[in-house]
Amino acid sequence: MTATAERQMELTLPMVPDIEIAAARAAGNMARELGLSSEQVDEMTSAIIEACINACEHSRSADNRIYVRCLGVAPRDGNPRIEIWISDHGRGFDPDEARTRRRTLGAAHKRGWGLQIIEAHMDEVDIASTPDGTTIHMVKYGKKS
Amino acid sequence: MTDELRLAVERRGNDGAILHTKGYINNVGGEEIATRAYELLDGGVRTLLLDLRETKIVNSIGISILIEIIEKAMERNGRVAFCCLTPVIHKTFHIMGLANYAKIFDSEESAISELGLAA
Repeated sequence: MTATAERQMELTLPMVPDIEIAAARAAGNMARELGLSSEQVDEMTSAIIEACINACEHSRSADNRIYVRCLGVAPRDGNPRIEIWISDHGRGFDPDEARTRRRTLGAAHKRGWGLQIIEAHMDEVDIASTPDGTTIHMVKYGKKS
Repeated sequence: MTDELRLAVERRGNDGAILHTKGYINNVGGEEIATRAYELLDGGVRTLLLDLRETKIVNSIGISILIEIIEKAMERNGRVAFCCLTPVIHKTFHIMGLANYAKIFDSEESAISELGLAA
């Protein structure tokens, strides 16, 4: 029989400046306890920061809240992983449109890189977005020590 | 809640400078760097090295401001370079294309040597 240890954490955060750091630090503590490397934690931190900034800047959420859920899974016979869900109750967005946007040197607008950064730093990302809100689900795997 | 960005400026020769950053480069931190960088460019600096060894987190808004600094420097025939990035910041710079327009060095020593930033 394979035993699996799980830890969960849920946060409801106000959309205020720098709140992304609170979400990233909380998830970072869980990831470190699971045994993820410092570089893996830093990559996850960057992805969480971008997901929270996207919610704060673009969602136009009526309740001005970000909902963060973290699930840490440590199977006895496998690699640990941390799963993170970052949700808002805003107007949603089109992930395909966001992915194809490019902001480079010389462009009038250079922002809009959040999704590319999230996808580059995490092992799995899926996005559910409707006019009633968005949830970005991300997974980062560690290596069993 | 966060480590607010702190900046230290080190002038190098007649037209060089090193900006040492410490803390989070977000919109606020990025604007602080931009203000200082534009002052230096207005004062005749043409080679600007940003030493990020004490910055562990940047976000995409902060990096977009760094790209604007590179543009402004290029408009004035100047150049911007970076050194001492964490692996994640290095990767993020590549994702956003910043590495196409600015040199990135592993150490301050190698940057100073290659850029000719005499003391």
